[in-house]
Amino acid sequence: MKLRKFLHTVPMKIYLLLLAVVAFAFFSNDFGLVDIQKTAIILAAGIDKTEKGYSLTAQIAVPKGSDRTTGGTSSVEIEAEGQTVSDCISLIFSKTGWVPKLVFCDLIVLGEEAAKEDVVSSLNYFLRNDYMPDSCLLAVCEGKAGELISSKSAIDDASSLAIEKLFSDAAVRSGKVVTNTLKDFAIDYYGVSKSSYLPYVRMTDQAGSQGESGSGGSSGGSGGGSGSSGGSESDGNSEKIYSAEETAIFKNGAMVGLLPREQTLAFSLLQGNMSTGTVNSEEDGRPVTLTVMKNEGSVALKTDGTPRAELSLEVTVRLCCRGTTAAMEDISSDSVTPTIIRNTEERLGGYIRDLWQTTKDCGCDIFKLNRMLYRSSLKQYARWKDTLLDVAEADVSAKVISMK
Amino acid sequence: MNKISSRQIYLFLACVAPVGKLILLPAQLANFSKNDLLFPLLAHLLLQAAAVFCVLLLAKKGQTLYDLLVRAFGKIVAKMLSTVFALFLLFAALLPLLEQKLFVQNVFYDTLPSVVSFAPYFLFAAFVCAKPLAGFGRTWDILGPLAAVGLIGILALSAPNADYAALMPAGASGGAGFLKGAAAGFPWFYDAALLIPMLGHIDYKKGMAWKGALFYLLGGAFVIFFFATFYGIFQETAVNQLFAFSATSKYYSGITMLGRIDYVFIYALALVMAFYCALPVQGCAECALQAYGRKKYLPTVLGILISALLFALSLLLDYKFADVLKVISGTVFWLFPVFCLAVPALLLLFLIKGGRRETA
Repeated sequence: MKLRKFLHTVPMKIYLLLLAVVAFAFFSNDFGLVDIQKTAIILAAGIDKTEKGYSLTAQIAVPKGSDRTTGGTSSVEIEAEGQTVSDCISLIFSKTGWVPKLVFCDLIVLGEEAAKEDVVSSLNYFLRNDYMPDSCLLAVCEGKAGELISSKSAIDDASSLAIEKLFSDAAVRSGKVVTNTLKDFAIDYYGVSKSSYLPYVRMTDQAGSQGESGSGGSSGGSGGGSGSSGGSESDGNSEKIYSAEETAIFKNGAMVGLLPREQTLAFSLLQGNMSTGTVNSEEDGRPVTLTVMKNEGSVALKTDGTPRAELSLEVTVRLCCRGTTAAMEDISSDSVTPTIIRNTEERLGGYIRDLWQTTKDCGCDIFKLNRMLYRSSLKQYARWKDTLLDVAEADVSAKVISMK
Repeated sequence: MNKISSRQIYLFLACVAPVGKLILLPAQLANFSKNDLLFPLLAHLLLQAAAVFCVLLLAKKGQTLYDLLVRAFGKIVAKMLSTVFALFLLFAALLPLLEQKLFVQNVFYDTLPSVVSFAPYFLFAAFVCAKPLAGFGRTWDILGPLAAVGLIGILALSAPNADYAALMPAGASGGAGFLKGAAAGFPWFYDAALLIPMLGHIDYKKGMAWKGALFYLLGGAFVIFFFATFYGIFQETAVNQLFAFSATSKYYSGITMLGRIDYVFIYALALVMAFYCALPVQGCAECALQAYGRKKYLPTVLGILISALLFALSLLLDYKFADVLKVISGTVFWLFPVFCLAVPALLLLFLIKGGRRETA
């Protein structure tokens, strides 16, 4: 009787066992095993155009020896040249025996020359790769991307980690830099506006660092094919610092212009990104700096008659610093005088007008006006899609409010 | 209790059935209908809800598919039609199985795993075939709430990153886009057909037909919201996102601090999917058993044979998924409306006519 009862429950036991096996096999994720000795964990990639096709410099994380007690990341840069980006990745594998792993690649830098052509040809491999995070940051750099990636950072063990610090959320909120990801760049590229933007990275020598101090972008050490960013300073490479206060703008995937820092700030403000940064102004010819506490920016398109872009922003500020001596009563007050407000409004309005003119001159629709038109009316879009940026004028409004 | 209760049916229709539409279908519809992907989706959901209504109305009689066919056409034709329907369900099982396999291999593994990692699934499928349908009904009591939690979790993490304005302008892809999308979407809508083998095993309650259709539409509302969110996130690149529900939630801002917490919901949905994908396989076995009798070892042998065949096909078609998709959603997509929409409607029609004859 007991045996029969037991046999009766056998199917359920098998069922549960199989369920466990399925769950085990499904969700094992290969038990998360990554053989670090056989894997190249690529932290960042720099892409340049060459006569042969592409040159890819991969910054690969290297496990540190146990003798080192400090934190940080050691890395080695490997350069490979091939007809396609995939070819370069394969060459890195054949050069090192490491299987390149892109899961942790958070930064792709495009060299200036590569950016002047349709960059989606360079990014094609990354867009297709299922194991590549599409939240990966993109940037353009002055000179060659390989030199930037191979340079020795003054502030971090790996150059890519130092550069990524420039693109942190805090940096974006400061309004000094705008960032873009692989996914958003692809959406912009394949969207109706066909325009996008990327931060433009410059590299300069750190004042007082050892070694030669050549001009930015020309003293990297990638020429031989590989190098170490964590090496000693006796190799002659000076330590570098990076900045990304300018913005490269793209039309049909090719870089068509560069926004200077003022226009980058205006773009950031119009996107409503800024919340803790500062803007400079003046009072009676003396410099003052204001902290932006709140930023509301908007871009709208009016299509009654000839299209008009409405670029407006409203910022709430408080006094951060005067470039002159001030009385204690003044220091204890954060409020901003009407003169400073007027001057700031004029200054920010001027930045926005310059930004508008630059985008018009370059034919780059970074405000996505075509997309707005497409989404609001197919008929209007069909009418204006080829000439929108040429015919549209901008109504600029910059309002500055003092924090009470 | 050997019957599937109304609660279990509602849980299946509202929570489990939507899960089967979350992997490849969003990209497939975005490919053909672009920002208008919600229109073919809505059309499919309405058609399926109508078909679910028909099937559940048939359940009122308490007879199996085979019994209904015998009543309408006699034993020989009923055996033939049951076999054809079983073969259709076997065919319908192929795409979700390959889809599930691709999903597991690509999302849960950092590098392409061996084919063996998916093989245990077919052991599971074989076992499911040998189990009575009522047992599966009980699993929905567990899977239904699990699927609901997964769906809500994924949507909650994904929605803040979606630009729903990307769905505008409505109608941009035109009638051709709608028709192409609708045609390509048919292989994912066979939920009414999944209920047909359950006829005779459903504990019919008053109003179950319209309530079932309503619950199906409730689940459909989740699917519509998910598709809108999916397109809002990926927009023009949506066509490149083959594993939709695992992709939308990864942009949640908290993930940078907490890690991929969305995997909790993804795993929950993947588990439900494993059962959902086994349903047509089980339906196929059930139809055959109804027609040829539930002999002692037949369910087990049939389960093993069906699963072995599907396993062989999955190995054979390992690198031909694009071709399989092209054939199923492009060339023979019409099989799905025939078996999933026309068959329930015709069965109902025969039943009504037969009923009138009997009354006369």
